Amino acid sequence: MSRKMILRVPKFQEPKRMEKSEAQRLWLLLKDAIVEVQHMNASTLSFEELYRSSYSLVIAKRGDILYTGLEEVNNHHTKNLLDKIAQAVDERFLIELNSQWQQYKLQQIMIHDILMYLDRMYVKEPQLKVFDLGMFKWKQNVLIHSQINDRLVRMLLGLIHMERNGEVIDGALMKSLIQMYVDVSLKEKETYKQEFEERFLLATSHFYKSESNLFITNNSCGAYLKKVEIRLIEEEARIKQYLDESTGPKLIKACEDELIANHMQTMIEMETGCRTMIQNDRFNELKLMYRLFQRVENGLVHLKNEFAGYVRNEGHKIVNQPENLKDPNALITSLIEIRNRFEKTLSQSFANNRDFINSVNTAFESFLNENDKLSESLALFIDKKLRGGFKDSNDQEIDVIMNKVILLFRFLSDKDVFKKFYEHYLAKRLLSGRSFSEDLERTMISKFKQECGNQFTSKMEGMFTDMRLSKDALDGFKNYLQTSVEMGKLPKIDMSVRVLTQGFWPTFPPHSCTLPPLLSQYCDLFTKYYCHAHTGRRIIWQTNIGTAEVTFRLPKKTHVLALSTYQMLIMLLFNDAEKLSLKQMAAGTSISFMDIQRSVKPLYSGKYKVLKRTPAVEKSKELSENDIFELNLNLKCKLHRIKFAATSQTDSEPERQHTRQRVDEDRKIEIDAAIVRIMKSRKALIHNDLIVECTKQLSSRFVPQTSMIKKRIENLIEREYLERFPDDRRRYRYLA
Amino acid sequence: DFQKLFESEENYSDFQIICESKEKEEETRIFKCHKSILSARSDYFKSLFRSRMKEYQKGEMVLQETSGKILLNILLYFYTGKIEITLENAVEILLFSSKYLIEELTSLSSKFVMENC
Repeated sequence: MSRKMILRVPKFQEPKRMEKSEAQRLWLLLKDAIVEVQHMNASTLSFEELYRSSYSLVIAKRGDILYTGLEEVNNHHTKNLLDKIAQAVDERFLIELNSQWQQYKLQQIMIHDILMYLDRMYVKEPQLKVFDLGMFKWKQNVLIHSQINDRLVRMLLGLIHMERNGEVIDGALMKSLIQMYVDVSLKEKETYKQEFEERFLLATSHFYKSESNLFITNNSCGAYLKKVEIRLIEEEARIKQYLDESTGPKLIKACEDELIANHMQTMIEMETGCRTMIQNDRFNELKLMYRLFQRVENGLVHLKNEFAGYVRNEGHKIVNQPENLKDPNALITSLIEIRNRFEKTLSQSFANNRDFINSVNTAFESFLNENDKLSESLALFIDKKLRGGFKDSNDQEIDVIMNKVILLFRFLSDKDVFKKFYEHYLAKRLLSGRSFSEDLERTMISKFKQECGNQFTSKMEGMFTDMRLSKDALDGFKNYLQTSVEMGKLPKIDMSVRVLTQGFWPTFPPHSCTLPPLLSQYCDLFTKYYCHAHTGRRIIWQTNIGTAEVTFRLPKKTHVLALSTYQMLIMLLFNDAEKLSLKQMAAGTSISFMDIQRSVKPLYSGKYKVLKRTPAVEKSKELSENDIFELNLNLKCKLHRIKFAATSQTDSEPERQHTRQRVDEDRKIEIDAAIVRIMKSRKALIHNDLIVECTKQLSSRFVPQTSMIKKRIENLIEREYLERFPDDRRRYRYLA
Repeated sequence: DFQKLFESEENYSDFQIICESKEKEEETRIFKCHKSILSARSDYFKSLFRSRMKEYQKGEMVLQETSGKILLNILLYFYTGKIEITLENAVEILLFSSKYLIEELTSLSSKFVMENC
């Protein structure tokens, strides 16, 4: 505490109460100085003296004299300025206003500097700071005065209008005058917003409303889009050049509303609009449209819907075109083509926007499933490719096509139908040895596997295994024949057998026929050999899908005919007869009449006719069972080996129906399995929930019909997997 | 460093402060300073130069109510950022810094005075 004594206090001028006259003197000194400043004569004043004066007044609690005095001086000065400025005519007005303003601003800075002590130590809210006070006086007495404000805004807007029409204006002057509105705003730029911005935005909307209406009626959509883009760039530049940055988003919004949002519907529908652009692949214009529409609310939704609608429409046309309905190859090829086309539009114009892609995919899903033949067509398309259609493509092209196939496949709701057909054609390819490349077959299958998992392809893979094992079995059989005793007694024929595991392969409709004794014996031998090697297996002969080669001896020439097993049986009948009716053929071979018809047809109506037909009813094209056939001994053909189609190329209707039936059978099993799986985990469930759950589980493979699920539930109740609750018939319980 | 700059004879000074103490025992002292340093350190000097009044035109100013010793302390503080506040000078520094709105120094010196009262 001793220190307390030592703290040196200088001879302190007791702040003696300042006399009123002394305060008045100091104020007058300052007032004169301020007036000098306002007349730009500040250089002879002493800053320190003025500062000290204001300091002394504040210290002596006489700040009020100074502050109110300042207010008056400013008031007076700005009123004088108003008269001076208002007198200026035409363009002089803006220049005069601007130069007075610039000077005034500098003066206010200077006054603030001199009165810094007052500003910091005396001024308290809600009083205005010294500089703000100056701004406020300018606003009150000059800017928003009726002689100035309206005139100024009108002239500024007029200049902007001129500039929008291509004339050059003084950007710096604009900036300074517009900034003035911001400077005199005390908080949140309120003067700028109220007096200038609002009217500016209104004028902008007005300008672009009339311009856009006029332009769009007289120009193409493409030209309009370009115009809009340029206008938006110009307005962006305008913001930077002389507007307050806070106006930016509002200005752009106003322009977008007038230029884009208000004309979206027109741009989509007009003759040169969005529709035409999509139709004609005008990628650049669409890209611009996308970019512009993106800027406004819901803009892209419009564009997306239009595009998706077009896609659906195009797809619908392709799927229902009569030629395409007949030719699966053309159908799938055109589908792949439009897919490519739309993918290009998506990537080049729509920035691969996910929403756009999704809606295109939805469109594909909808039209691809319009037609219940699509699954089969797709399977047939691949069939053709894998039978040799890929011959001229390189690996990369093949991969592209396969991926497109997978893509289309993905959209199918009945994948199980496709699967059945695919298996069916795969079986045919393998059995007839017509598959172009096993590698490609396996690549294709592996792609399905990736897409749908093991279960989807297990049967297909099983077929390949069977093919390999059959070869081994056949080799074994040939060895067996050489060592076998019975062999010596039989004439040699070259028989090839494929052993197909039931379940992997499609079940072919059962047919029966009588084989010639020799073949029959061979078959028995094979059965004996195979069952000996693999105990517990049973062999069922499936003669209807076999092939045979037969030597055909004509008087002058010998041909080898490549035939189906049935055709062989028919031809063999002619060893013992010259003429045969269809009825007789059927009797001689025990083949069903329909199969006879189908087998005979290529033999008498193809390019090379080995049979001659005499219709029972003259000139009738329809085959009848009384038509008479005989060998055509005048056959002219340079080829040694003549190949005949087993039946007509595509599957006959019954066969197709058979495949469909089998799909239905499989579906029943799948639905049963799904119901049991669900009930096992949930124990009890209400009817509707079960249906929903079941549909959800199966949707990756097919879309089950509710009626079918209901039937399966009934069936499962009968089989005592489920029961109804006695008190609530709509609920089911799982019976373990 | 800045202290040397301030103290050396030829220091390219562009502004001088003449300290005319009213107290007879102290003689008039002249401080050669730099506008850049002064205006960077104090809003008062910044405004003084910005207003381009007499002081700016003449390149000098006169201070009457401050003793040379105290002004030296203050100027050294401007140049070096360091100041030694003692029982001797505390009150005068407080007066000066509050008059010329040197906020950091005001709070330093007022704290010192409070602690030592």
